[in-house]
Amino acid sequence: MVETLQNLTHGFAIALSPTVMVYAFAGCVIGTLVGMLPGVGPLAGISLLLPASYGLNATTAIVMLAGIYYGAMYGGSTTSILMRIPGEAASVMTCIDGYAMTRKGRAGPALAIAAIGSYIAGTASVVGLMLLAPPLAAFALSFGPPEYTALLLLGLMVLAYMSGGSVPKSLSMAALGLLLGMIGIDPMTGYSRFSYGVVELGDGIGIVPVAVGLFGVSEILLTAGQAEMPKVIKPKLRDLMPSRQEWNDSVWPIGRGTVLGFLIGIVPGSAHIISSFVSYAVERRLSKHPEQFGQGAVAGVAGPESANNSATSGALVPMLALGVPSGPIPAVMMAAMMVHGVSPGPMLIHQQPELFWGVIASMYVGNVVLLVLNLPLVGVFVNLLRIPYPIMYPAILVFSVVGVYAVNGSVVDVWIMAVMGALGYLLRKFDFETAPIVLGVVLAPMLEMSLRQSLALSSGSYTVFFTRPIAATMLGAGLVLLLFSLRPLLAKGADWRQRFGLQEESTLEKEEEK
Amino acid sequence: MRTRPLALLPLLALALATAVQAQDFPTRPINIVAPFPPGGQADLMARPTASAMEKILKSPVVVVNKTGAAGAVGMSFVANSKPDGYTLLMALSSISIIPEADKLFDRKPAYTMDQLIPVALVSADPTVFVVRADRPWKSVKEFVEEAKKRPEGLSYSSSGIYGTLHMAMELFVNAAGIKLKHVPYSGAGPALTAILGGHVDALASAPAVVIPHIKSGKLRPLAVWGDKRIAALPDLPTFKELGYDIEFYIWAGLFAPKGTPEPIMKKLRDTVRAALQDAEFKNAMAKLETPIAYLDAPEFQKFWDKDAKMLADAIKRVGKIEE
Repeated sequence: MVETLQNLTHGFAIALSPTVMVYAFAGCVIGTLVGMLPGVGPLAGISLLLPASYGLNATTAIVMLAGIYYGAMYGGSTTSILMRIPGEAASVMTCIDGYAMTRKGRAGPALAIAAIGSYIAGTASVVGLMLLAPPLAAFALSFGPPEYTALLLLGLMVLAYMSGGSVPKSLSMAALGLLLGMIGIDPMTGYSRFSYGVVELGDGIGIVPVAVGLFGVSEILLTAGQAEMPKVIKPKLRDLMPSRQEWNDSVWPIGRGTVLGFLIGIVPGSAHIISSFVSYAVERRLSKHPEQFGQGAVAGVAGPESANNSATSGALVPMLALGVPSGPIPAVMMAAMMVHGVSPGPMLIHQQPELFWGVIASMYVGNVVLLVLNLPLVGVFVNLLRIPYPIMYPAILVFSVVGVYAVNGSVVDVWIMAVMGALGYLLRKFDFETAPIVLGVVLAPMLEMSLRQSLALSSGSYTVFFTRPIAATMLGAGLVLLLFSLRPLLAKGADWRQRFGLQEESTLEKEEEK
Repeated sequence: MRTRPLALLPLLALALATAVQAQDFPTRPINIVAPFPPGGQADLMARPTASAMEKILKSPVVVVNKTGAAGAVGMSFVANSKPDGYTLLMALSSISIIPEADKLFDRKPAYTMDQLIPVALVSADPTVFVVRADRPWKSVKEFVEEAKKRPEGLSYSSSGIYGTLHMAMELFVNAAGIKLKHVPYSGAGPALTAILGGHVDALASAPAVVIPHIKSGKLRPLAVWGDKRIAALPDLPTFKELGYDIEFYIWAGLFAPKGTPEPIMKKLRDTVRAALQDAEFKNAMAKLETPIAYLDAPEFQKFWDKDAKMLADAIKRVGKIEE
């Protein structure tokens, strides 16, 4: 512990040196911006700025790139809350209740809670990263294909709880998402599937165009289809900060989101995206008023926004502790290290203490910077809502097209966004939820890969999922969730969800008393 | 019919114009397309090359990442570009794999190899064969014996089906006459994670990626695919020394679209030759722990032909995977 503190002091000495500070600040600002721009997410932002970091030293470069990564998680919530356009894929869940809050005139509190939740999660998860990185990274490695398959299946089962409407509807939407996720070159055999000779579809359908289309474009289409223009919401100053009730409703979701996000972040994959879905489902499940979800429940903003921030620190655990990437973003950051002659590996913490502790300390500093940056901006952003719709919506469409195009420089992506916009419009007219589609598209390639890898390892035997303890436990939990979500279908019991929620709450309270 | 001398004028003008073009070349920025995202091997090779070329040409050389479909998007983009020397390609060994895989699946090829001509080979890194350190095999011989005892009992991870790391392993598997279980991952990083987590037994990998894990005692190297030993692991035998006639490199080379005028090609070749001597370039490559392996166009063409043939054979041998 003393050693950790000494190292941390050393780290702060690096993080607070003027050059490192400037780049940490620059990273945070750029991150906030790429987070806000629809389409351009942290991966695109980091990739675009990677060449610019070649001139810096390794520590400064990683500090800046990490700043972009967690900065994007702050920025991503802004457009989700104000305009129902996910600034990046991890903010999809924030769209639902964040935007509903905006429609009720509570945009300010939603933005403030998102920023504060992000800050708490960001800081707490850095503590986790600092104290637990080596043992947690070793745990993450024990996740092989079978464990991963079980985890993703569990994630899908969580869907049943995510939906506000009917379970069959949301499961069918998830199935549609999974099917869309099948497009592209088969990762195990190399066959092309559903790509109809379009080379760009070989990599499959990107999450970004799907999310922006289903959420943003469909919202614009729906608004245009209304007989009466929605009134421009004029925010009042006293409505900027959250009320006492909103605070109380956010405390636990932030705490749970932080822990969940960190744990999910460690596991390889697009963790920050999945963590926000899981957090939303959990909050909905634990809420005393699950019916408020989708209608502007502050917990539906606080949880996911905390989770995606905390997942970013989690994702850095395997990278810093072992030198293995836990997803595409840490992979790019590892390339940045290699350019500077630092080989990412298990000895990094010992061989490059200034890098490890400098980055850790800069993340504490960066989160403070982001909070200071974002809270006053709440007032500015909220005033964007004063812009009349005939001006704002075309502008948003332009930004969406530019942002989606910029990620891969691909017109195919823009078309996908347009098609998804139309699809989203139709589905919402028929009262389907679109979030499960996004989750399906995120999960499908990972689920397929890990399932088939597991079967390749076991020579086709499914027992591999039940003989490994972690996998079996998670599958068991998923099965229980599935049975519970099917119960109303079988028993036709009315409002089972609320009853179950209350029951859970009372057991929780009992546990707290103990 | 009498040839009118004047009729030849346009031809002469054209020839002159080309010569002038070559002399002035480049008059605008040159783009080097990296068909993989920033931070990937092609990108990491392209950037130091571009900045060294820039110094020599005194004209901007820009790296453009055109990604998608395992590099096919960027490669077909350059293959179909105007052959004027302003659009070049930094490609990896996979340039020879994609058209073969397309052939295997009767797909309309994204590009064909004869649409591109080599400028120079920049780097070639022999892959290293590693196993988990907690497994009992101390040599390739012991590994092969065990694999013969249990066909498909031992497993390896790779960067993806028909990917470079898969191909390297396939060469060994074929030469040794053994059968291993192949578990493809989406990229070299996840493939490394799989062996570190103990989910597979073996891996072929670029040396720089596995050396930290060899030093920390997690992985044990058994052989290297190069024709000579590598400096970082001097005790490690080559497969050739062990009696397997196989060689495999993860290489990176610069290509131009076919039809690029000879004078411009010459200028490009001269520029790259000088660029690879640049101190800053050498320094950048040393940091990336990637050996420079310069070959001028004619020798590179030979190297490429041999490499492509070997990969084509390997792909045919693997064939379509039926499940």
